[in-house]
Amino acid sequence: MSEEDKLGSTGVVGIEKAPSRIDENPGRRVLRALAESFPKTVSGGTQLRPGVIRAKVDRSDLYSACRTLKEDLGFEHLTMISAVDYEDRFEIVYHIASYQSRLLIELISTTPKDDPVVDSVSSVWGGANWQERESYDLMGIVFKSHPKLERILLPKDVLYHPLRKDFRG
Amino acid sequence: MFRSRDFLKWSDEVLEYVLRKSPVGGGIDFVTKDFFNWATRNSLYFLHFGIMCCALEMAVASAPRFDQQRFGIIPRSSPRQCDVLLVNGPVTKKLKPALRRLYDQMPEPKWVMAMGECAISGGPFYDSYSMVPGVDRFIPVDIYIPGCPARPEALIDGFLKLQKLIKENKKGLLTGR
Amino acid sequence: MAEMWINMGPQHPMTHGLWNLKVKIDGETIVDAEPEVGYLHRGIEKLCEARTYPQIIPIADRLCYGSSLTWSHLYCLTVEDLMDIEVPERAEYIRVMAIEMQRIASHLMWLAAYAGDLGLAVGFTYTMRDREVFVDLLQALTGSRLTYNYPRIGGVAHDLPPDFERDTVRAVQYMEMRLKEYEDLFDGSKIFMMRNVGIGTLRKEDGINLGVTGPSLRASGVDYDLRKDMPYSVYPEMDFEVVTHEDGDCYARYRVRMDEMWESCKIIRQALQKMPKGRWRIVAPRNAPAGTGLGRVEDPRGEAVMYVVGDGTDRPYRLKIRSPIFVTVSAAPKILVGYKLADVVAIMGGLDMCIGENDR
Repeated sequence: MSEEDKLGSTGVVGIEKAPSRIDENPGRRVLRALAESFPKTVSGGTQLRPGVIRAKVDRSDLYSACRTLKEDLGFEHLTMISAVDYEDRFEIVYHIASYQSRLLIELISTTPKDDPVVDSVSSVWGGANWQERESYDLMGIVFKSHPKLERILLPKDVLYHPLRKDFRG
Repeated sequence: MFRSRDFLKWSDEVLEYVLRKSPVGGGIDFVTKDFFNWATRNSLYFLHFGIMCCALEMAVASAPRFDQQRFGIIPRSSPRQCDVLLVNGPVTKKLKPALRRLYDQMPEPKWVMAMGECAISGGPFYDSYSMVPGVDRFIPVDIYIPGCPARPEALIDGFLKLQKLIKENKKGLLTGR
Repeated sequence: MAEMWINMGPQHPMTHGLWNLKVKIDGETIVDAEPEVGYLHRGIEKLCEARTYPQIIPIADRLCYGSSLTWSHLYCLTVEDLMDIEVPERAEYIRVMAIEMQRIASHLMWLAAYAGDLGLAVGFTYTMRDREVFVDLLQALTGSRLTYNYPRIGGVAHDLPPDFERDTVRAVQYMEMRLKEYEDLFDGSKIFMMRNVGIGTLRKEDGINLGVTGPSLRASGVDYDLRKDMPYSVYPEMDFEVVTHEDGDCYARYRVRMDEMWESCKIIRQALQKMPKGRWRIVAPRNAPAGTGLGRVEDPRGEAVMYVVGDGTDRPYRLKIRSPIFVTVSAAPKILVGYKLADVVAIMGGLDMCIGENDR
């Protein structure tokens, strides 16, 4: 993830002046399109390895960014939703794949520790339904407007969220 | 006046006395004990209940290579028809009431075999928050089969040891002695 | 007619593994379905935070015990991505060969259980016997029958035993002969065909939207296989085809898996021919750098992904596992609605579920 890999030929994050040569790389095209649609909330687009790109998105624009990814940029397959518990924040990582252009995007959204609430994307991709239930069950992230946010792996009357770092099992 | 209720009570008492308490019952038991014991230990039906990896080895033990059916060991689907409950995987807290209910539904005489490390003591997941470390915390176990996963030969050896155990503890069917 | 909910499971001969399927039926027709999982939840993701990196390899094996080499290989791939180390080429070829053998063994296990459930008991006995051929090979290679603990971070545990190439070639020839016989056996069985053709159709758009992957999706016509489209290890060197089928019903899923076994035989032969000499393992560093690692493989059941977060010590900070069956089971209500109660066995069996990876 060095400086040259970041978006833009001048090494500055963000798009504004298009470079003079056409960029053939599909990953960079996607990152550019995403940053164009959401200039304020999408940041840090990098290419991790051939075929895998990463971007950070603010949690307020998460739902619309996902809709753009699915409908305009052709990312039809949501692979995985992970939740990571750092010391000062929760990070929710979405891995979304595109069948047509053979790409995988890693979309990272952060929430503060005392307010782990994110929008649910299960109306965009049906496969997100159970994955979000699992994140709620094990980590305690609440997904707004999820059709049925219940515990799925642990028994229904359990009160703790085991994967948090302050849970000593 | 002679009522049918009295007749039933009378016939119950007669049969109970003749068959169980009097020497007639003991005599019948003495004659048939060996035969019934031989039949029981050579037709051990276990419950078709697979939890985790050892369940695959349990399925392979019914396959042509290891073939436990030549010993009379056949899986049955309903707990009411089984003699043996074979616990072959880790028991989680969510599964514990269901497993206890299955054990209670089996009719006497019944035996329990714990197959694999997870059922014996928790296995590689012994320190997890949702595991019961060992099935003998809530069900009495007769035979332990070690291994992770236990080989099919070890499973058949466990069944043969159970047969020996049954042979040593011969009990009559009528009197229970 | 009154509707009622029926509990199929957790102890039910149909359910391979421990889960509960609640179906709502109206007479004999299924109106709604709701799977209930979690009976096997061992808390693996939390356990892994207390173990060092090499200690997690046997635990990764026990995630899905039907195809355990795939999962330990996936774990090693992820950690190698995190630590940024390069595996020697001989190790990559050995890994690929072992994975394809594991794929054949896993599909044969599925076929045995599937045929046995549908009433074709002779299918159970024949396929189990042939699976023993590959399990014996893997036992000679790794030392264990079911959970192998063979890949290491930086290669494989030990080299090929003597006479392994000869035995493998013989096994592959035998398997190709038997696969032809299986096709005659299953396609000629009228009951098998009647219980499979036209049952449990999954449309392409539904499959992609619900996140179904693997043979179940390729049976609906989507041409996507991670070994070809986002290849890892030495799969770019191998010449094989991606098997798809158009209909999307149970017969298509069965057909895709049978043809995948043919392709696996081809890959094993090529891996044996192209294997170079050299080292089979390098020693990986003990502590992992801070960062993230991602690994994606094509499991026999779908697309499996692992995401690891390292923090500079010798234990992972977070290990997240995506299992293909977790998402496929959630698609069950869509596929089951409209069919009869007796079709549940064929449909859910055809999705090849291994609940160990579902519940983690």
